[in-house]
Amino acid sequence: MAVYRSESRRRPILVLLVVTSLVLITISGSSGVVRSVRSAARDVVAPLQRGVRSAFRPVADVFDGVAEVGDLRAENARLRARVSRLEGSLSKERAIGQEVGNLEQLLDLPNIEDATGVAARVVGGPPGNFERTIVLNKGAAQGLVVGMPVVSGTEALVGKVTATSRSTATVTLIDSPGLGVGVRTEKSKDQAITQGRSGDRLMRLNFLGNPRADISVGELVFTAGTDGAAYPPDLAVGRVASIDRNRGDLDPDIFVAPVVDLDALVFVKALHWPPRAGG
Amino acid sequence: MRAVRWFLLIVTLVVLQTALFPSLRVFGAAPDLLLVATVAVAYHRGAEVGAAFGFVAGLVIDCFLASPFGVSALAFCLVGFGVGVFQSGMLRSSRFVAPVLAGVAGLLGGALWVVIAAIAGQDDLFTGHTVVVVVIAAAYDALLAIPVFPFAHWAVGDPDPARR
Repeated sequence: MAVYRSESRRRPILVLLVVTSLVLITISGSSGVVRSVRSAARDVVAPLQRGVRSAFRPVADVFDGVAEVGDLRAENARLRARVSRLEGSLSKERAIGQEVGNLEQLLDLPNIEDATGVAARVVGGPPGNFERTIVLNKGAAQGLVVGMPVVSGTEALVGKVTATSRSTATVTLIDSPGLGVGVRTEKSKDQAITQGRSGDRLMRLNFLGNPRADISVGELVFTAGTDGAAYPPDLAVGRVASIDRNRGDLDPDIFVAPVVDLDALVFVKALHWPPRAGG
Repeated sequence: MRAVRWFLLIVTLVVLQTALFPSLRVFGAAPDLLLVATVAVAYHRGAEVGAAFGFVAGLVIDCFLASPFGVSALAFCLVGFGVGVFQSGMLRSSRFVAPVLAGVAGLLGGALWVVIAAIAGQDDLFTGHTVVVVVIAAAYDALLAIPVFPFAHWAVGDPDPARR
């Protein structure tokens, strides 16, 4: 199988395609046309994707099961231990939560309770190898817009809506390298920004307000909810997994593990934030 | 009729890539069906058609990625051209050509994609994990070349003998 073409004919075509690609890459971030094309393409393919997902669900389930059976046993034991620990602290936290809620009402601060949202099912993951996204089964037609914070239950931040089509939405997860979340630590209340790292499920805590803050492994970090923040305050983001203060740098290396398993999400809720007038 | 086959090839592969293979990852890596198809088209139809197909296929998959629009188009276009040039110098083929070509092109295409994406702003991709993912994805591509090459051949056919 050989095809013979002169070099002189090949090169102009290649140059044209390369230049066109470079132009598209350059304008892609700011072009509304590119966003519209992406949205339209996702809408056109969405019904076929639904069909394929339904038809191949048993295959995907078997594949997942084979890949994860060892992890599931270990996770089961870990979760049992964690449930018993959490049950102990739940009653205490309820009491504190009630007090905080009362104070927020008195001060008229916006909080998570004010935010209405759209519940959606996770129907897919990223088609590429270098991004951390999930696809939801609801989109612009159901009220999802780019920028909405996405939570699991009502307590844990999962990510942010970064693209929508009429019937689907793409959520960039909090451990994605491109996404930073303003957070505060549980005990010292120091503010910082989490930053995902390529190929790693742990997020680095950057720009810590006080580099010498007393932070310990296992401590939770919550959304900071500063004025005009992209996320509601007090959503759990992660748990401190490791701290390295011995590198001689000004800032310690603090890594945070997401509080929910971002690879096992089934249902999530996209929140209207800031809350819509009248709830 | 040929245009319908081209269309079917791209739509089938993009639906499988976006709806099925995110659930069939191996050590976190998914294959790149449209890159494999680009390699197959370039192998059957040469550098020009390979580059053009790679460009279109890349644009289509770019619609479903969060990376800058055009990164896959550029990477696939260059891979299609390169494979087309390479195959024109091949004296004979064997049954191992498809997986070997797809594996090597998958490796180069993956590396090219990472470099282009990094230049476009995703500079966090230069990690050891990226190398591992590119290698595993290339091996996956090699495996999937076995069904994709005949499908692509059915879609694009042989070149017009009069133009050879």
